[in-house]
Amino acid sequence: MKYTFKRIFVLTIIVLLLVAFSGSYKSLSIDKLAYVVAIGIDKSSSQGYNFSFQFTNVTSNSESGTAEKSPSIVNNVEANSIGSAINLMNSYIGKRINLSHCKVIVISEEVASEGISKHIYTLMNDTQIRPSANIVVSKCTAKYYIQNSKPILENLITKYYDIFDYSSNFTGYSSDATIGDFLNKLECDTCNPVAILGGMNTENIFYPTDITENQSSSVKANESTISGKRGSENIGLAVFRDDKLVGELNAFECLSYLNMTNKAKGFFITIPDPESENSYLDIYMSPTNPTKISIKITNGSPYIKVNCYFSGRIYSVDSNRQYLDKNKLEAISDICDSYLESAFSDYLYKTSKEFKVDINEFGKYALSLFLTTNDFNNYNWNENYKNAFFDVKIDSMVESSILLTET
Amino acid sequence: MSRSKIGTTEAVLIILTVIISHSILSLPRDLIVRTKSATILNIIFITIICTLLALLIAKLFKKFGNADILDISEYLGGKLFKQIVGAIFIFYYMVSSAILLRNFCEALGLVYFQMTPIIFLILLFVIGSCISNRLGFNVSLKVNLLILPIALVSIVFIFIANFKSFDIQKIFPILGGGFKDTFVTGLLNISAFEGLKYLYFIPPYLKEPEKYKKISVLSAILTGTYLILCVSIILFIFPSFFTTNEIMPLYSAARYISFGNFLQRLESIFMMVWILSFISYLTIATKFAISIFQKMTNIKNTKEIINVFGLLTIAISMFPKNLAVSTFWETKIYSYFSIAIIFVFGISILILANIKKRKNL
Repeated sequence: MKYTFKRIFVLTIIVLLLVAFSGSYKSLSIDKLAYVVAIGIDKSSSQGYNFSFQFTNVTSNSESGTAEKSPSIVNNVEANSIGSAINLMNSYIGKRINLSHCKVIVISEEVASEGISKHIYTLMNDTQIRPSANIVVSKCTAKYYIQNSKPILENLITKYYDIFDYSSNFTGYSSDATIGDFLNKLECDTCNPVAILGGMNTENIFYPTDITENQSSSVKANESTISGKRGSENIGLAVFRDDKLVGELNAFECLSYLNMTNKAKGFFITIPDPESENSYLDIYMSPTNPTKISIKITNGSPYIKVNCYFSGRIYSVDSNRQYLDKNKLEAISDICDSYLESAFSDYLYKTSKEFKVDINEFGKYALSLFLTTNDFNNYNWNENYKNAFFDVKIDSMVESSILLTET
Repeated sequence: MSRSKIGTTEAVLIILTVIISHSILSLPRDLIVRTKSATILNIIFITIICTLLALLIAKLFKKFGNADILDISEYLGGKLFKQIVGAIFIFYYMVSSAILLRNFCEALGLVYFQMTPIIFLILLFVIGSCISNRLGFNVSLKVNLLILPIALVSIVFIFIANFKSFDIQKIFPILGGGFKDTFVTGLLNISAFEGLKYLYFIPPYLKEPEKYKKISVLSAILTGTYLILCVSIILFIFPSFFTTNEIMPLYSAARYISFGNFLQRLESIFMMVWILSFISYLTIATKFAISIFQKMTNIKNTKEIINVFGLLTIAISMFPKNLAVSTFWETKIYSYFSIAIIFVFGISILILANIKKRKNL
């Protein structure tokens, strides 16, 4: 009798728990979920926002296999907040939106200028959004950017979003700016956030006057000379003061940012050829040691010393050149040093004097100069950063060319 | 319930169950909020103090052989005093574990089971602990011996996997909120060593009672080391002066882990390990509460009251109206409560009993 009672009790408990947990299970059923891969936020004509949701067609992916390109669907809705936009979209698609595969959050320049903290906090408050989702500030509308973000060399849009920041590892022209980092920097007293700068490469490109043949690194999204099948491009960075967009960095400034924050892995620079006038050398530089940063407070202003270390390989070779000549390599190294010193200094003064924001996280190196957090707060790093002075030293060693040494 | 004997490792792990379960929730964040960038310095300081206190407890227990604090209370103030001490400790064990359970279930519900009523999540844990306790203390110990090292490894893994995102500079300003905040008001962080509460009740269970001192010191040092590890993860990843609190900071840190496109979303595995370690914690806390009750009432068979204690845990954990109330209890009242009972009340009893013993000699 006792045994039977025990059995009934155990069975009742199992059934009870199964029923209780089925609510969560049901809502997570794949048939009832619509997976969003990108969210776009634009300003609407009324007071609210225009939210774009890019979906992947899960069933078409599984049925078509990998040979065919899978279509993505972009739906838009006007609402005052992300929550109500998701709600409206849920009722339109007849499914529950799931953000756990959302790879990119695109915000238009207009929205970014007004402040985006409420969107960032709301999204990060959602357990589905990954901290690794990229954040893009688009120079065109977010809707247009998403619609034109089509995979060219991949079949799936998710695959494209997965790897779209990969090239920053060897070009340095963009950065892996994630929503997790963005939130951390919003909360941070020693730094400010950045986002990937996105735009369009249409045929009606606006070419800025300062782009010359040897200064292709000064381009940024929406202004590049690239033309291709995919409409969107990501070059440069969007700079924020707290949650408001205050400026943009072009490709080379982005590269400088990556070097200051020890995220650069390798990049090309184009320097004047010491042996012939009006010709240029392409050199692939790789950091050999982490960037050394030391800070002193001199007369109330931060004095920031930056030391970078690179090794270089000459990429653009020419006939009748000797790329194993010690003196020539030293001359090229010196040019690299002065070129990078000047470029990095310009970049640093731009962040300090023009933008007045410390996106390089220099503030954290200043923490050790203070004994207590009150002392640091009273100093007000973010306010004093605009008075900062920089001393950039580059130590580069151009070693040789790559395969062809002498011709 | 039989008096199963426990070895040195098992005893240390029993004490560590508390800190592991507590650290999964808001403990590291609370420590950082109190002492800011000086938290690591503060933990080193309080670890030294707690190690000395653990040594003191071991020294005070020395004259009483295998007696626990209830026997010592009886010796000090008679049966009534023993009942009072027992009731206070049962209250402490039950309330602390039930509130921690409520907070853990709330967090679990927010992350994974948004549609499931909180009572069912609590039931899941309580049923697990009741079954475990019914199977005997030996089984609980063995399971604990298996799960706890995995939980510890999970924290070490989070530390190593996030190492590339660490900003070691966030250890500065070295004194955080100042000398007073770090070394005076920061003493409140001593409540993180709540696991030392088991030191008062494990002597009768020890296989080798002569190793009691070793267990005490080792537990304090390991708790301190573990805390440094947890705090480092939060302090070095998240902004030092953060204003937004994460409900489970270690879980949030685990969300940052990914190894390329192949290994992502590892936090679910960590959560599974932490759920198991939490059941283990609840089992041990209930077991000790039951054994105190057994000693107070002299009942022989405790199997029948396991369910009663389980129901009591459910009742207490459902007592807070919402997450805000239970979090307030965990972050504000809990520290004072733990310090008062473990480091003031417990040690006072031991000191007075030792004085009495010396006088009687």
